[in-house]
Amino acid sequence: MKYAFFLGCVIPVKYPGFEKATREVMKVLDIELVDLPFSCCPAPTNMKLAHYDTWLALAARNLCLAEEAGLSILAMCNGCINTLKEANLILKEDLQRRNQVNLALEGSGHCFNGTIEVKHLLDVLYKEIGLERIAEKVQHPLDGIRIGCHYGCHLYRPPRLMYPDELSEAASYVPVSMDQILTVLGAQPTQYSRKFLCCGSALGTNIDAQAANEITREKLQHMKKHRIEAVSVACPSCFSQFDRGQMMLERKHHDGFNLPTLYISQLLGLAFGLDRPNLGLGDHRISLQPILERVGRSS
Amino acid sequence: MTPKKVQRKEKEEPRIGVYVCHCGLNIGGVVDCARVAEFAAGLPGVILSKDNLYTCSEPGQELIKADIKEHRLNRVVVASCTPRLHEPTFRAACEDAGLNPYLFEMANIREHCSWVHLHDKEAATEKAKDLVRMAVARSKLLAAQEPLEVPVTRKALVIGGGVAGIQAALDLADSGYKVYLIEKDPSIGGRMAQIDKTFPTMDCSICILAPKMSEAGRHPNIELLTLSEIEGVEGYVGNFTVQVRKKARFVTDSCTACGDCVKVCPQVAPDEFNAGLSMRRAIYMSFAQAVPSTYQIDMDLCLNKHGIIACDKCFQACQRQCVDYSQQDQILTLDVGTIIVATGVDVYDPTPLTEFGYRKFPNVITSLEFERLINAGGPSGGNLIRPSDQKIPKTVAFLQCIGSRSKRSNIYCSNICCMNTIKDALLIKEHWPETKILVFYIDIRAFGKGFEDLFQRARREGVSFIRGVPGEIIEDPETNSLTLIGEDTLLSQLYRYEVDMAILSVGIEPRKDSPVIQRLLNLSCAADGFFLEAHPKLRPVDTPTGGIFLAGCAEGPKDIKDSVTQASAAASRANILMAQGKVIVEAITAVVDETLCQGCGMCVKVCPYSTIREDPETKIAQVTQASCAGCGTCVAECPFSAITQRHFTDAQIFAQIDAITEEAPETKAVAFCCNWCSYAGADFAGVSRMQYPTPIRIIRTMCSGRISTEFIEYAFRRGAAAVLVSGCHIGDCHYINANHQTEKRVNRVWKKMERLGLDKNRLQLAWISAAEGNLFARKMKEIDEIIQGVTPEEIEKTKQILVPKKKGKGEGTEPKE
Amino acid sequence: MLKSIWELFNKEDLFECYQCARCTGSCPAAMVMKCYGPRETLLRCLNLGQEAVINDERVWYCTTCHVCEDRCPQEINISELLTAIFNLAAQRGNLPEKIKFGVDLIAKTGRSLIVNEKVLKDRQKLSLPPLDPLNIDEIEGILKKTGLNDAIELS
Ligand SMILES: Cc1cc2nc3c(=O)[nH]c(=O)nc-3n(C[C@H](O)[C@H](O)[C@H](O)COP(=O)(O)OP(=O)(O)OC[C@H]3O[C@@H](n4cnc5c(N)ncnc54)[C@H](O)[C@@H]3O)c2cc1C
Ligand code: SF4
Ligand code: SF4
Ligand code: SF4
Ligand code: SF4
Repeated sequence: MKYAFFLGCVIPVKYPGFEKATREVMKVLDIELVDLPFSCCPAPTNMKLAHYDTWLALAARNLCLAEEAGLSILAMCNGCINTLKEANLILKEDLQRRNQVNLALEGSGHCFNGTIEVKHLLDVLYKEIGLERIAEKVQHPLDGIRIGCHYGCHLYRPPRLMYPDELSEAASYVPVSMDQILTVLGAQPTQYSRKFLCCGSALGTNIDAQAANEITREKLQHMKKHRIEAVSVACPSCFSQFDRGQMMLERKHHDGFNLPTLYISQLLGLAFGLDRPNLGLGDHRISLQPILERVGRSS
Repeated sequence: MTPKKVQRKEKEEPRIGVYVCHCGLNIGGVVDCARVAEFAAGLPGVILSKDNLYTCSEPGQELIKADIKEHRLNRVVVASCTPRLHEPTFRAACEDAGLNPYLFEMANIREHCSWVHLHDKEAATEKAKDLVRMAVARSKLLAAQEPLEVPVTRKALVIGGGVAGIQAALDLADSGYKVYLIEKDPSIGGRMAQIDKTFPTMDCSICILAPKMSEAGRHPNIELLTLSEIEGVEGYVGNFTVQVRKKARFVTDSCTACGDCVKVCPQVAPDEFNAGLSMRRAIYMSFAQAVPSTYQIDMDLCLNKHGIIACDKCFQACQRQCVDYSQQDQILTLDVGTIIVATGVDVYDPTPLTEFGYRKFPNVITSLEFERLINAGGPSGGNLIRPSDQKIPKTVAFLQCIGSRSKRSNIYCSNICCMNTIKDALLIKEHWPETKILVFYIDIRAFGKGFEDLFQRARREGVSFIRGVPGEIIEDPETNSLTLIGEDTLLSQLYRYEVDMAILSVGIEPRKDSPVIQRLLNLSCAADGFFLEAHPKLRPVDTPTGGIFLAGCAEGPKDIKDSVTQASAAASRANILMAQGKVIVEAITAVVDETLCQGCGMCVKVCPYSTIREDPETKIAQVTQASCAGCGTCVAECPFSAITQRHFTDAQIFAQIDAITEEAPETKAVAFCCNWCSYAGADFAGVSRMQYPTPIRIIRTMCSGRISTEFIEYAFRRGAAAVLVSGCHIGDCHYINANHQTEKRVNRVWKKMERLGLDKNRLQLAWISAAEGNLFARKMKEIDEIIQGVTPEEIEKTKQILVPKKKGKGEGTEPKE
Repeated sequence: MLKSIWELFNKEDLFECYQCARCTGSCPAAMVMKCYGPRETLLRCLNLGQEAVINDERVWYCTTCHVCEDRCPQEINISELLTAIFNLAAQRGNLPEKIKFGVDLIAKTGRSLIVNEKVLKDRQKLSLPPLDPLNIDEIEGILKKTGLNDAIELS
């Protein structure tokens, strides 16, 4: 399997370690990643809000780069996924929009044809690679750590755009991929109240970081109540809320949560027994020490 | 019952009398009636023609009667108001004078002429002449008809033994009819047996229901068939044959309900009657007051399967030896004249609304489960307890509109849950006055008698009503207590309420198996899945199928009082049929000419009443006269002209088209209107004096489904500038869904016109209801514009190239000119 | 001239809202910011008109989590309505500084974050491929066609 690797902006700039971990994990799983000159997705939390048409055209340009390489896209960030999936779906279905966008792309030499898919790392792991193959690679099972999954809203909302094929008539869409993956890694994914509450990130970056952190705090409180030991995320913005945000909250409220937060590739890497320096474990504000000790990877 | 052969032509020469009515100044003030009468006198076959002031008056009618006798008239045409008003009057007059009423014809020169062309007397008079010409032409081809009398079997079938079914069965049995009451469950009683108290009076539900149940159980005229379901229905109004499967009970009628067997049974399962809140054995009785008061064995749970006896504990325990593991299902055949459908409702299952945690959090329950919890006969002996720890809750929340009024579940209001919650809240207050009760609602619908009172009482007793349904319920993992997170919209403020227990006030919805009943009985369902009544206001308990009636929640969500009212209404409707002992079928039914039928089966497919059958051997179509509603859809569909609709024959309609197009057809439009909607809509335009252009000439049929593509094409071939086909709105058809065929046929002609390079705009299709006079008038203006735009060349071209398609066999439908 | 919001969103869909508040009840922004919630935003659009909404800086409190739409029993596409509101607000000049900054950066560099020396060095340490500057002419060409600069005022 081979994918166009969509880095986005936040991971390569702020958390290059996650990128490294992802590349290493994918190597183990025999997935080839191809780098292309992608721009910002652009983000559903700024460009889309400011100017929808520009957002759609720039997203289309990124999609075109992958189309031209004949590759589907694998992305590591929920924002990127939200933009690229929605744009891909709309441009595939709405021919009028597609014509408008292609007009805008004319000078750049691109033309959207709708030939590729866009997938989040989680879905590639869960649906393409499959739990069995992941399980085969596990060397250091995660010792039943009680991990709380935070999927991140932009991964799956609104489901009519993100997972149109998986909607059931009445039921609210509930993602399960991360919980399933963590189970085969040997962790104990643990349910908690308000699991599907937003982390608050966009409010933080756009308006008021303190208020946003209060949203994160609500989640952390429930995680603690459910005796969760670590948080797993699939998005750098969510990560920042749980890691940096938690640190800021600690200064204000002295809750003493101390919940280590890990990006999903890091957990895969730890379980696969990959070299620690390749897993970006140094980028964390909340110490990972307890977790690393539990899985016997503390040094 | 063999259909009579259609009499194609009367032998005698037509002797027609024409009466042009002034209707005071209503017609006479616009139309020159004398001129019209004079014109009519010159039409072939017309023996006499008169104009008079009020034809419907006594003297007017006497005149007609005298003329029939004196001049040996064998046809009468009255040009006056709409046949929807006075056709019965004049028909009766004809019959009085010894003329078969089906030999009478009317021209509508008031609603369709004088009233809508008030300001153009000349054109109105010309139009009136045309309308009379059409009526005279049609009258010549009319044939005497005898309406059919069908005997009615004086027995009734009631499907569903809830309160509605019980009431209907008792009413009919008390009137002296034999009634079969079919119930799929082991006992009758339905939902009402499950609930504790009933709003608005707070009576004990089972206390008022149980006497009715036992009465139904022992009534000499009622044969109670529990554990039974219908599997097949044949026949028609007054004469149904119903197949019923009576499932094996494995316990005989001699059971005295002593209960000795239960104690020994090793097999347990959740108890459906208690909404799964308690357990029952494989041998059990659903509840103490069950009727019949007989135990039964759930064979899916019992250890004895497929005739292998692995356990005989209950057999041993029963002193009266009532247990019989070898009982078999029985198939019964019942002959009945009327059927009442009272299959009731299911309750919405809120599991898919994951944000409320039903089935995940033990203390989130539904309102039906609550009824069982608070019921003295229920699993907790009437103690309101939290399922998680059996403690009495101090704070209880109700969430309204769960599974109702939502595109994610059912879009309608379930009608009972507001009042049910108020009742439940008061019940809690009655027993545990200290309990804090919060009701989260969108709207409180307390519309019935005594409802508002009850609502106010609940508020006075301290029940808090909070406007705004929670977004989410979360659970404390240690205490299992719940937190409700949401917004109070009246305060525009977010709330968090901690409660011990949350009750989802779930809606009610059609039975899951209602499509089966629908298919077996040929009923229609509304978009929401409930059975559809024949008319929402004037025939609220009839179904479109004769002899079948609706009662209770099967027709739509309602409370007990309305269910019972409706049950008595349905029983009374069935009673009328059975008391008369016969039904009259109007002589407008479809009749098959066996020599022309090729057995293609096209008619069978389109008949909305499934009343046409193919003879198994010859494949020749057979129409059951008693259940034919007379829409004529099959007639329009038959490619071999093998079906005729009595009183609306092809020849009659062609003659009307001929009459319209005899003079200056290029200035006229031929309109086909259905009796119930678009013709009535045109009448309404008349009554409201909406003025529109004169070129339209209306041909009335019972249903737009009667209009064959041939009629449309023929009108064009005769040079008509435009054609309008109109009927009831899709979904409102008076013949279930026959207008779907109309739509298909018009589409077919459109395609053909397009293919031939003809202007398809000249053929218009419009759905116009009886109330949409304005729409009709607007359409007339549109059509006038279309007529103005049609060139003589276009008309000529159409005449040349819109040729009839080759007929398979038979002489084709076009009349020989 | 600003477009009417009803050109971007079908007004009739909003008539199906019966103000049950399941959206606001679920909204993270409403939880932490005073006087905010999608239910009220929607009602204000409907009853007071778009001007009452797009000039109000509170619209930007939304975290774009779309849970409101997810919970709405009437399946109203609230996220589409909100996007329309944001776009109109932005054109009206009601656009938070931080968003403006991000948009500006994308317009100038194609990325929403600044790639400085330290970033490049960190990546080198991890032997990750360098983040080369993007073909900015191409991006500028696209933005010209979509009219970003005409619609909103950037620095
Ligand atoms: C939780 C709850 C509380 C309520 N509280 C009140 C209240 O306080 N006051 C009030 O006025 N109303 C109340 N109602 C409404 C009331 O229950 C209904 O109005 C009433 O039960 C309707 O009676 P029914 O006979 O139409 O239907 P049902 O009670 O549903 O009875 C239908 C019967 O038909 C049987 N049946 C179904 N399909 C078939 C089939 N194919 N063949 C044979 N048999 C079949 C079923 O087994 C059932 O016995 C409440 C309803 C609920 C759900
Ligand atoms: S009766 Fe009340 S609770 Fe039930 S659906 Fe109607 S409004 Fe909602
Ligand atoms: S299609 Fe209409 S006219 Fe023909 S048999 Fe059926 S009900 Fe009668
Ligand atoms: S959830 Fe939907 S229906 Fe309810 S208030 Fe919000 S938008 Fe309106
Ligand atoms: S999308 Fe915005 S308005 Fe809707 S729930 Fe999330 S934060 Fe609230």
